[in-house]
Amino acid sequence: MIPFDYRRPDDIGTAVATVTGNPRAAFLGGGTNLVDHMKLGVAEPELLVDVTGLTSRDIERLPDGGLRVGAGVRNSDLAADPLVRERFPVLAQALLSGASGQLRNLATTGGNLLQRTRCVYFQDVTTPCNKREPGQGCSALEGYHRHHAVLGASRQCVAVHPSDLAVALAALDAVVRVQGPGGERTIPAETLHRLPGEHPERDTVLEHGELITAVDLPGLPFGPRSRYRKARDRASFAFALVSVAAALDVAGGLVRDVRIAFGGLAHKPWRARLAEDALRGRPAAPDEFRAAAEAELADAQPLRDNGFKVPMARNMLVSVLTELSAEDGAA
Amino acid sequence: MTSATSPTSTTPVTTPARTSEEAAGGIGSSPVRPDGTTKVRGEFAYSSDLWHEDMLWGATLRSPHPSARITGLDIAGALAVPGVYAVLTHADVPGVNRYGLEQPDQPVLAEDVVRYQGEPVALVAADHPETARRAMERIRVDYEELEPVTDAQAAAEGKGPAVHPGGNVVRHVPIRRGDPRATADVVVTGTYEVGMQDQAFLGPESGLAVPAEDGGIDLYVATQWLHVDQQQIVAALGLPPEKVRLTLGGVGGAFGGREDLSIQVHACLLALHTGKPVKMVYNREESFYGHVHRHPAVLHYEHGADRDGRLVYVRARIVLDGGAYASTTGAVAGNAATLGVGPYDVPNVSVDCWGVYTNNPPCGAMRGFGAVQAAFAYESQMDKLAQACGLDPVEVRTRNAMSEGTVMPTGQVVDSAAPVAELLRRVRDMPLPAGPSGEPDLRRLPGGVSNTTHGEGVVRGVGYAVGIKNICFSEGFDDYSTARVRLQAVGGEPAATVQTAACEVGQGLVTVLQQIVRTELGVEQVTVEPMDTSIGSAGSSSASRQTYVTGGAVRAAALAVRKGLLGRVGHVPGELSVSGGKVVSTRDGVLADIVDVLGDDVLEETVEWRHRPTESLDPETGQGTAHVQYAFAAHRAVVDVDTELGLVKVVALDCAQDVGKALNPQAVLGQIQGGSAQGLGLAVMEEIQTDGGLIRNPSFTDYLIPTVLDMPPMNIDVLELADPHAPYGVRGVGEPPTISSTPAIVAAIRAATGKPLTRVPVRPEHII
Repeated sequence: MIPFDYRRPDDIGTAVATVTGNPRAAFLGGGTNLVDHMKLGVAEPELLVDVTGLTSRDIERLPDGGLRVGAGVRNSDLAADPLVRERFPVLAQALLSGASGQLRNLATTGGNLLQRTRCVYFQDVTTPCNKREPGQGCSALEGYHRHHAVLGASRQCVAVHPSDLAVALAALDAVVRVQGPGGERTIPAETLHRLPGEHPERDTVLEHGELITAVDLPGLPFGPRSRYRKARDRASFAFALVSVAAALDVAGGLVRDVRIAFGGLAHKPWRARLAEDALRGRPAAPDEFRAAAEAELADAQPLRDNGFKVPMARNMLVSVLTELSAEDGAA
Repeated sequence: MTSATSPTSTTPVTTPARTSEEAAGGIGSSPVRPDGTTKVRGEFAYSSDLWHEDMLWGATLRSPHPSARITGLDIAGALAVPGVYAVLTHADVPGVNRYGLEQPDQPVLAEDVVRYQGEPVALVAADHPETARRAMERIRVDYEELEPVTDAQAAAEGKGPAVHPGGNVVRHVPIRRGDPRATADVVVTGTYEVGMQDQAFLGPESGLAVPAEDGGIDLYVATQWLHVDQQQIVAALGLPPEKVRLTLGGVGGAFGGREDLSIQVHACLLALHTGKPVKMVYNREESFYGHVHRHPAVLHYEHGADRDGRLVYVRARIVLDGGAYASTTGAVAGNAATLGVGPYDVPNVSVDCWGVYTNNPPCGAMRGFGAVQAAFAYESQMDKLAQACGLDPVEVRTRNAMSEGTVMPTGQVVDSAAPVAELLRRVRDMPLPAGPSGEPDLRRLPGGVSNTTHGEGVVRGVGYAVGIKNICFSEGFDDYSTARVRLQAVGGEPAATVQTAACEVGQGLVTVLQQIVRTELGVEQVTVEPMDTSIGSAGSSSASRQTYVTGGAVRAAALAVRKGLLGRVGHVPGELSVSGGKVVSTRDGVLADIVDVLGDDVLEETVEWRHRPTESLDPETGQGTAHVQYAFAAHRAVVDVDTELGLVKVVALDCAQDVGKALNPQAVLGQIQGGSAQGLGLAVMEEIQTDGGLIRNPSFTDYLIPTVLDMPPMNIDVLELADPHAPYGVRGVGEPPTISSTPAIVAAIRAATGKPLTRVPVRPEHII
């Protein structure tokens, strides 16, 4: 860890201006990811601007049946919120499948979205990594990569995004509210994270100095019929090999609407638009679910040791949708 | 497992009722551990809590490369950092710059080459850990990188560059018994792999070295064997043994990973150089580089049997990757070879085992020590044989089970209980867990609380395994322990103290030693003194040996004290004994209080105790009575596998084990539960990932060990078939459950999925 300064400004405007004015400044939320990276030498900010007292810790109702989640809401509090559990069970399930109780007590909503990949080469400053140091090369391409991407990767980077929360938000059409030096803007959660392309060093579309202040969850009538599933190497406290966030609306045996996003497959939460389009208006049946999953995964390009993620993702999606359709029919 | 059973309510079915001869808190009971409460409350002082007012912090600069030549080393920048007291290199090692448990092949600090990633190159002592870290960044080391040797198989065949001047074979152990060309009607073959497992103890390496006025050093450290540390430190420091004094710090688990030196010489060097106390503590990442791991193995097996499944021959070729330095590779290879056919009676055996050098992380002792790797292969083969012969897996094992009187592949005759068939029958006959019914409890399904499945696509499988382990040190090693027992009156009560150098590493040895003295001296108040080198060696807290050997030494010392005590009573009719603080005669009952017999005198006896000797193995044939004692455990695993996602939930992992005599039944259950859990870890998740000699997952976020959600409650059946050669009839407990746990779980996954599964850990990609 290098020496750094620490500041705790009185308001968000000052915080944003402070970070904007210093290219080596960083916002500090729960610190559960950033501090680890500082210890590893992966992140070397010279100034930390603590926003934990500034961003909202409230969950507010929106007129459309949705919710506004302050960026400072801790993961534990968000997962336990009765409205979240009732309206968007997928979100609570995603949160509870991530990390450990202690970490969830500290980690914030905004920080969770901005956590960085768990790629072992990204974490290890002695190995080449384009995400950490552009131009060094990617060690994972031919290295230890069973956790890595099968969709949307580039030769520059095959890392996956580690957040479970972000996958649920992508499926729910959430909107990320951001305060920057030029004022406020909103970004669809689905497009907050980037594919690596030629710039794997950039995880998101945020500019330096922009601060996530809240996440809006628009009302979704079939939100209560949503699920998050996650496959991992042990029963708790492990990152996803593959995860699925899904919400399903069935009427008369047909899929009226559906939301699907995958985790563990790509550099960003993978909103499965192809599968969604393939399903709308079709019978809510396992064969259809399978065909839709295969359509979504048709372009998968597994590495040497992660081909298992493709059937895992397909089977998981079929299983989740089958379960949701059964629940819908019974309701 | 029924829902009524919890992990703590395991049932030692056959543990017999205790007799009245057993004193309160004596052997056969389960008194509260003296360290138990403080550990649970977070108040126990581990070696990482050691503190000295004016101490410095030591840090280790390590090689980033698995194989390189050091062409330049410049410490000037580090020395210039304010707060730095010393920067040391190999040139500052006053004695021999080599150490090692079997052969001194490992530099204290690297000279012209480094042979593994993480090899220590230089040391820093500074006023703060952060100062030391920054200083290390200013040490310039020029490396000329070399192509690392990473293929253990090639190393065994003598191919590729030599990691050490003598070549890459640390030891080749052949075992030859019977007809090497025997043929059989049924032949099954297989190649199996075992990944590199870590001991994953929770307390990282740590200690405090304090320079003494006599020019010597006092070292407080978490270790498994104080005297073997002392021997190696003495050689490196060039000091006489009396000037290097070790005291055991609080140990947070060991499992073999503390047998080799870590901070010991380094902290002493820095303390002697600066004249100040020096503390060293590894963090988790450094710990992965700072201790040896379980040898990864590739095992080729061929089993020949008659049509009834009776074994005619076993042929095996085993390669163990010892990594960059020998550590205990020779002994691990000896175990894998001599125990290579498992607990079976096989007339014709041909086993070759190689332990080799590579530039991979050094490997050495870990719970099960060579027997774990072999058991995964031979038990997988037994299941294959069962299938080929159309037999039940328990039946094929029972037909071939060894028993007392069996001749081992080494020619050694098994001369105490070997209830292999009985253990298998016992696990087979335990009630099977109920299948899921109604709304399933997600915690009991594959993927657990991740909500991965609600029971669809889930297939259940049952698997069995039985294993064998040698107890105590083998192959002619002079294996002994030293104990001093003192008896005196304190405040009107008889009180005993026990002194040994045997390391309490969390296994509960302190409690067992107290129990032995209570039983033999009839006193309740027994104090175990801190373990240090002011008394002779106790040998290592490994090889499941400490209750046997140090327990034997303490018993012998206590008996000598008792003899002295009773001798003071003089000649009276009847036979004398001690109980409840009194001297008792078989004829006249209570004769006197022990305190009255003692008066102001202190009775003290020191005993050096040995188990019966063993022989070395013939280097050509592998024949010899090399082991002191054999121990056995059997497991039955029940798994639910989500075949769509490749996820496994071990729903039951039941065990039967013969322990000879359960001196502390609760500690026995703890060992069986812990050992089984460690075997579960190897079966389905634990592996140090290496890539070109580099460790890729040196953290507990990336190296996964089981949590309570992965480990099922256990039914445990403890047999007590006394070994007449051992004190109280004890049979080592700690390692056997680790050995059979892994293959039983994999057998169950195979039964559920039909997949071959020739490698552990088994991962979703092997199933899906």
